[in-house]
Amino acid sequence: MLLILPILIPVIGGIFVFRQKNEQIRNRMVLCIAGVTAALAVLLCLLPEQTVELMTIQGALRLSLQNDGLAKFFMALVALIWLPVAVFSFPYLKHAGGERKFLSIYTMTQGILMGLAMARNFITMYMFFEMMSMLTMPLVLHNGTPAARRAGFQYLGYSVFGAGMALAGFFVLAYYEALPDFVAGGILNPILASQHRELLLAVWFLMVVGFGAKAGMMPMQSWLPAAHPVAPAPASAVLSGVITKGGVLAIIRVTYYMFGPKFLAGSWAQKALICLALCTVFVGSMLALREQQFKKRLAYSTVSQVSYVLFGLLLLTADGVKGALLQMVFHALAKDTLFLAAGAIILSTNFSRVDQLRGIGRRMPVTTWCFTLAALSLIGIPPMSGFVSKWYLASAALESSISWVGAAGVAVLILSALLTAGYLLPIVADGFFPGADFIAEIKEVGRGMTVPMLIFAVLAMALGIFPGLLLRPVEALCGLIF
Amino acid sequence: MHHILALPILFPILAGAVMLILRPAGRRHRNLFLMASVLLTTAFSLTGILLSYRLGGDALTCVLVSFSTWLSISLKIDGLSMVYGTIVAVLWPLITVYSILYMEHEGQENRFFGFWLISFGVVNGIAFSQDFLSMYFFYELMTLSTLPLVMHAMDEKAQYAGRKYLVYSISGASFAFIGIVFLLNYSSSLDFTYGGILDAAKTVGAENTLLVVFICAFFGFGVKAAIFPFHGWLPDASVAPTPVSALLHAVAVVKAGAFAVARLIYYGFGADFLRGTYAQTVVMTATIVTIIYGSARALRTPHLKRRLAFSTVSNLSYILFSLTLMTPGGLAGGLTHMVYHAVIKITLFACAGAIIVKAGREYVYELEGMGSRMPVVFGAFTVSSLALIGLPPLGGFAGKWMIAEAAVDTGESLAYLGIAALILSTLLTTLYLMTVIVRGYFPVGQLDMEALETIHDPGRMMTVPLALLTALGVVLALCSNTIIHFLQMVSLGIV
Repeated sequence: MLLILPILIPVIGGIFVFRQKNEQIRNRMVLCIAGVTAALAVLLCLLPEQTVELMTIQGALRLSLQNDGLAKFFMALVALIWLPVAVFSFPYLKHAGGERKFLSIYTMTQGILMGLAMARNFITMYMFFEMMSMLTMPLVLHNGTPAARRAGFQYLGYSVFGAGMALAGFFVLAYYEALPDFVAGGILNPILASQHRELLLAVWFLMVVGFGAKAGMMPMQSWLPAAHPVAPAPASAVLSGVITKGGVLAIIRVTYYMFGPKFLAGSWAQKALICLALCTVFVGSMLALREQQFKKRLAYSTVSQVSYVLFGLLLLTADGVKGALLQMVFHALAKDTLFLAAGAIILSTNFSRVDQLRGIGRRMPVTTWCFTLAALSLIGIPPMSGFVSKWYLASAALESSISWVGAAGVAVLILSALLTAGYLLPIVADGFFPGADFIAEIKEVGRGMTVPMLIFAVLAMALGIFPGLLLRPVEALCGLIF
Repeated sequence: MHHILALPILFPILAGAVMLILRPAGRRHRNLFLMASVLLTTAFSLTGILLSYRLGGDALTCVLVSFSTWLSISLKIDGLSMVYGTIVAVLWPLITVYSILYMEHEGQENRFFGFWLISFGVVNGIAFSQDFLSMYFFYELMTLSTLPLVMHAMDEKAQYAGRKYLVYSISGASFAFIGIVFLLNYSSSLDFTYGGILDAAKTVGAENTLLVVFICAFFGFGVKAAIFPFHGWLPDASVAPTPVSALLHAVAVVKAGAFAVARLIYYGFGADFLRGTYAQTVVMTATIVTIIYGSARALRTPHLKRRLAFSTVSNLSYILFSLTLMTPGGLAGGLTHMVYHAVIKITLFACAGAIIVKAGREYVYELEGMGSRMPVVFGAFTVSSLALIGLPPLGGFAGKWMIAEAAVDTGESLAYLGIAALILSTLLTTLYLMTVIVRGYFPVGQLDMEALETIHDPGRMMTVPLALLTALGVVLALCSNTIIHFLQMVSLGIV
């Protein structure tokens, strides 16, 4: 029963948030609900595994929840991100407008994400995945411009079609399942599966590409650069930071909890998907370099960086998964800092292009410092956390049994790091060193916006200096899978 | 005792005739008479179904008219009848309440409700027929009794729609009749029998002819089920008053077409006779094409009711595709989607009707910002849309799941193509329904606030049925395990 609470409380709470017209009470409500849900998530992380059956759709097809290791990991991530971004959104939305709609949907989304994490089988996960897509579309649409509406429908279309591809794969897969629910290591009936290996590999490929649309993997990534410029900054932060990781979670479940690494290792499908992931890493960084629109540049950066996670997962080794999970968390922290900073900058100066950001470090020092720390983490410079995750990914790549993955993987990772530096450091440099003729007054945004940024930036650094905090649970999780 | 089967058919026909002849002038009297007749008919229908379930269908057969030793109009309720009969019996009263308030805006209620009652009886006749001839008789009668309903407005568009409906339906039924004649020739009786009625001894050497005849009959009955390329009458028929579109063209008439196809395949020619033949390939391909065609046209249609009509075209072919799999799983999948789609689509049409009546707006691009003005209507539309898109655990998903599982079980590559069509259609459905919802709740651009201020939810006689229908859809979805279990028993011939 406890498992249902972190889902129900935000969803029902969101309705009350919508009806609350008084701004102060409403903001407190949002914080309260986010806090309670986070506390429940932490509680569930500490408790042993439990299951809850919600309903039976037909026969063996059931909707049920379980807080297993991966669920706890994802719930903790969501809980970590949700509260600070909510705090940021209060002053931001005061400026942008439409607080009630945004905050109510924002609150409800947290509940759905908890459900996605705790889904015990594919259909439950698919249900929460679709709910998540439907519910987050209004966040993209929020500004109410025709471009926002187009971007919203592009987002919805790609998400639904991707999930549909995965569902089609599931329809075929259901026959080969020995067990109905997710089990670490895979649930395929080994005799049946080995008889139809080619078909099942094709199904896996389809499912990963389908869910990969949500994670911004090529070829279905173009919704990301369309959605971010038009969405409000807190929406971009959770979209890049957490929602894309929802797609990653789905891929982890399909790969490690349905098919199992032993069945997939060394196959053509794995090699093809690794190629796709590496391509996305490279092309994403290249497009970010060329992009002059500030938020769109960060969007391409997300496309690239989330595929680091996918690359790690597709290596199908324990070290790969370790690197991937670490990158999941560290990227969320860094990218959210970047988007919150971008939001603060756009709000304060109305500048949306990168070349307009000269001297921003003088105008908004705290914001730019947070941006700098996050940028260093994203590039992968020690002691920031991004370095730790990329190190693990690189060493996992080198250990891979597939011949070319080591060289190709490391090459792409290094290249991408250079490109990342190329598209983030100039902003920092021009920001702090605009030239002698630049006169600027300090016009920093309020504490409501800087404190969340600082929290994420400091965490990004702290987890880099003390990675052990995160490494232990991650290693425990890997132990379960392999 | 067995004459109780005649009641759900003869009683409403008589009541409708009475209304047409006597033409009650007072609104209250007419509405009371109408509701009483409809509720009584539902009661008779459900009683017959329950009795047949308890005692077994064979215990209650009833011969209405006997022409010769083999040819008669007779009634019997078997498993398939129970499914279709219950859908009709449950939904008819709800939409009648809705239509009472709706038709005040259209006028000519006596004529409308007279034929409305007659149609109820005729549809029950199709559901409870014991053999092909009876079903054909009521099938033709249904075209005639629903024609005045389609043409109700009597303006140019309505007359054109009526003529098109008539021509398509009568032509289709003629081709179906060819099938019935051949069935009679190659079997010993026309009574519906699970597994088929063809006599193996007689059909030797004539298989090819029979397959061609089957294809004719499939498309013949398929006209009413809006199969491509004979779907054209359905979008044009959306000029009819919304209760007609909702009940008849989303539930009774079009599901009668699907029902007839199910009878043709599983209780007529026999799934075993047809499986694996080129006939199956032809009909399955037609259904797959229709699935995509319907959804694609729906996306491109700005008129809301026409959009829903194309959506019906597509969803009916989900059912037909499942039926053409020619396995018990296929029949179960088709029946599952028949049940859930009926409730969902009737709700969607009812919402569209409410918008037309209250705001006079028929096109999707006119709906900006109306979500907050008509909360009940748009709320019902949203829930039903999510159900049609296939969000678990709502109804549309259960249908897709059963159909997909049946398709995978056959192992044929064409069936896999059907699954791909279902997924593509899901995407298109999401897009063509979410545009309405998004425009309603998240308007873009300048809103005409003065015009919007005048718009409200319709009166209780329309919102209560809407709410009940939505709730019914959700409750049925939550009970999907029980319902699908029953449908599986029907598909195996056990019930």
